[in-house]
Amino acid sequence: MPRLQRSANVRWEGNVARGSGAISAATGAFTELPYTLASRVERPNGKTSPEELLAAAHAACYSMSLAGELTGAGTPPERLEVHATVTLDQVEDGSHRIVASELLARARVTDVDAETLNGLAATASEGCPFTKLIEASGTVTVKATLEGDPDGD
Amino acid sequence: MATDRTAEVTWHGDLMSGSGRIDAVTSGALGNLDVDWRARSEDGQRETSPEELIAAAHATCFSMALSHGLAQSGHPADELKTSATVTFQPGEGITKISLHVSGKVPGTSEDEFREAAETAKDNCPVSKALAGVPDISLDARLEG
Repeated sequence: MPRLQRSANVRWEGNVARGSGAISAATGAFTELPYTLASRVERPNGKTSPEELLAAAHAACYSMSLAGELTGAGTPPERLEVHATVTLDQVEDGSHRIVASELLARARVTDVDAETLNGLAATASEGCPFTKLIEASGTVTVKATLEGDPDGD
Repeated sequence: MATDRTAEVTWHGDLMSGSGRIDAVTSGALGNLDVDWRARSEDGQRETSPEELIAAAHATCFSMALSHGLAQSGHPADELKTSATVTFQPGEGITKISLHVSGKVPGTSEDEFREAAETAKDNCPVSKALAGVPDISLDARLEG
């Protein structure tokens, strides 16, 4: 398969504390998303941040990976819900670091038990390119539940 | 203090013919973005993909770090324009990220700007999280 490229553009005006930026996707799927330092490290107030975009990337990457694993096992999912939460924290030297991404998946899929799902959910995380990358900086945790299970709903 | 940001995705069906949607994120700034394998693995698509979102996250993080570095050195930027391009090799992963930045920064030299951009590239939290990418390149230019 050929190599694929995806681009995004950002315009930033001013310094970091009082300035603001706007983010646009080359595909046009989103344009001029505003962001500021406050939206990143304080309350978001409707504005996105790098970590929120990473959470969206990880959730999107992981849901595809889990769909692939379930399908490969002969049990394609009817529906998957994935939440990814990315944590930015101040570390010992005072700098900020992405320390964690937590994946929660809820699956509507027939003929799969909880144990099998957990195994496939872990494999799916290992197979998601973004999981591998973020492990350079933080931890990635995965929890998967079946829809209808007491732990799930 | 730690900051959490969450995104929610719903996926229907298998990988190749199924489709997903980024339903919501913590801030509410984006939602109802469709994603699928075609959008990720073929050119000329209008839907977003994980790689496009990573490009957006990296360009965003880099711009903030550079604006901070420039202000610290006494030359705050009037405007920075950054693009990030993520190269995805299916089966292999993300093999390259190219950052391009052009800046309007009164009172700074081309060399100082390049040095500040290199520092931002090395130190912004998203760069550190993406340190496993084999090739992260930077092209930094001052405008007028």
